[in-house]
Amino acid sequence: MLRRRNAPVHRTVDNLVLTPRDVDFDWASLPTHWVPGEPFVTHTINVLHLLLPAGERWFVDVFTQALPYINDDKLREEVLGFIGQETIHARSHQGVLDHWKAKGIDTDPYVRQIDWMFFKALGDRDLISKRREEWLIERLAIIAAIEHITAMLGNWALNSPALDAAGADPTMLDLLRWHGAEEVEHRAVAFDLFTHLDGRYLRRIRGMTVTWPIMLWLWVRGVVFLMRTDPELTGLRKKARWRYYFRASRRHLLPPANEIVRGVLRYHRPRYHPLKEFSTGQAVAYLASSSAANAAAV
Amino acid sequence: MVAPPDLRGRQHPDRLFTLLGKLIAILEWLASGSYIRRPQARPVDRDLQLVVDEVRVEAADARSFRLVAANGAELPRWQPGSHLEVLLPSGRRRHYSLCGDPADRRCYRIAVRRLADGGGGSQELHDSVGPGSILTIRGPRNAFPYAPPFVPAAGYLFLAGGIGITPVLPMVKQAAADGAPWQLIYTGRSQASMPFLEELSALDPDRIQIRPYDQHGFPAGAQLLEQAPPGATVYCCGPAPMIASVRQAFPASAAAALQFERFTAPPVVDGEPFEIALQRSGRVLTVPAEVSALEVVRQAVPGVPYSCQQGFCGTCRTRVLSGEVDHRDRVLTDQERADTMTICVSRSRGGRIVVDL
Repeated sequence: MLRRRNAPVHRTVDNLVLTPRDVDFDWASLPTHWVPGEPFVTHTINVLHLLLPAGERWFVDVFTQALPYINDDKLREEVLGFIGQETIHARSHQGVLDHWKAKGIDTDPYVRQIDWMFFKALGDRDLISKRREEWLIERLAIIAAIEHITAMLGNWALNSPALDAAGADPTMLDLLRWHGAEEVEHRAVAFDLFTHLDGRYLRRIRGMTVTWPIMLWLWVRGVVFLMRTDPELTGLRKKARWRYYFRASRRHLLPPANEIVRGVLRYHRPRYHPLKEFSTGQAVAYLASSSAANAAAV
Repeated sequence: MVAPPDLRGRQHPDRLFTLLGKLIAILEWLASGSYIRRPQARPVDRDLQLVVDEVRVEAADARSFRLVAANGAELPRWQPGSHLEVLLPSGRRRHYSLCGDPADRRCYRIAVRRLADGGGGSQELHDSVGPGSILTIRGPRNAFPYAPPFVPAAGYLFLAGGIGITPVLPMVKQAAADGAPWQLIYTGRSQASMPFLEELSALDPDRIQIRPYDQHGFPAGAQLLEQAPPGATVYCCGPAPMIASVRQAFPASAAAALQFERFTAPPVVDGEPFEIALQRSGRVLTVPAEVSALEVVRQAVPGVPYSCQQGFCGTCRTRVLSGEVDHRDRVLTDQERADTMTICVSRSRGGRIVVDL
């Protein structure tokens, strides 16, 4: 068992059945800087809306292709639950992009590149038999690595009272925490699927080795792009700076770098398993209280 | 594979993305060699054979079954809200909530109401399963998690309807043991039909309201939620109309959180039988009135993707080649409905539907 700095607050839940939740978000009153007076924090978190709709649709594509190879009914059910949850996530973040578009904020140039990466570079290639299977498993290793990082960020979002204190928009916070909680809830599925179909340590690590540098690069690029595109920022305020990040993370408005680095390193432990960290109990408790999940049509 | 234009709107391909494309191509090349010594995905058998140890009559038409391992071994651990999938000797599969003591690791207890007009699973359990019978089970799995903080929060309101008391019973006992502020409202057709009243009488009677319909009427969600203290978490299990009514009334109540059992496939309403033809495999299947098309297609095409089974996620969207579809989802646009359907909820308007499967 991993040592945790924070003891769990909630009772544990084992063998959770994963099902998608229908949600309803209304963005009509979302301010551009939804963390008031904090454009850098706002845009650093906003990068999620740029990466996730395409990324999660890609997860669904790859996972759907993996379904026929699964030899375990429980895992298949979890994969199906995962697919539904990721579909709803992609759609909900897309809602924010559509809202921006209606307000005249054009994110197409960046989103086009992300679409290209997932659906062309990382997409299905003209491959046959063994080679096709290996490309599928390689992408599952990448998804397992990404899911480790999203669970880490989701856990941070669930434990980020500083954002409430800063007056962040409640609907956006609910989106982040609902999504974060479902990421924590299904954190083991991608890892278990990769383990079921291959599971070799070096291949798992190869997935993480390509994932984190690309993710970091895309994130930095995304923040620079959003700051430059933001119609409410002018002149020098359009520039993103590293010191803004360190200042914000010290105030707990963004996840601290050392926590992220340590989290990525934990993935390299040979005996790593996603269920050894974070609290399913806390995630389901949040989900029971999410306004978006409780507001959706009955 | 030409990289997309750069972020400043110039038309030539973004140089960094061209490089990224090359890196990913190298990764695919590396992956192509990984078939060497790759372990095969082994089939996983999760079935447990358990012996019925004791059967008890808990109410007019409800019985509880105590299950143990033949060799008396410890069973997988579980938390309140979990259920078992029971594979009956006839091949029927049914889900039943665990209603025993999670701390007793050597036995499971389920309770079953005999439904005269059900699919026959409960009748089979009542009529042909007794002490000594062997049942195959899978699980436990949890679709109704009870995960309170260790330091009890604002309050817990448990709402149980009829046999829906089964998952709630271990939750209530846990809350009582934790010294949490809790209330239980237990409804049912009549006092005689409500199981576990005796077991509940061992708990604090001031926290329990027994409300049979024959004295209090069918409870409306708003009425039940009136009892929730501000900030409370509500746990609700009962007949589908009761859960729907509580969900509808929840946003206007003082409670802060609502947990209910997430049934994945709700019963089919107003269904007519119809035929579905699978173009690619050349098979014609008949969908009975009370079963979804997905359920039937799954038997023939085991890898078919689906998820919510309620028509909101769109995972099971399938191309329709011919036939008139009765669209019952809430996700597809009119354009998508023109040539696709969600097979988890949508049906035929009459006549055969041909799908691209």
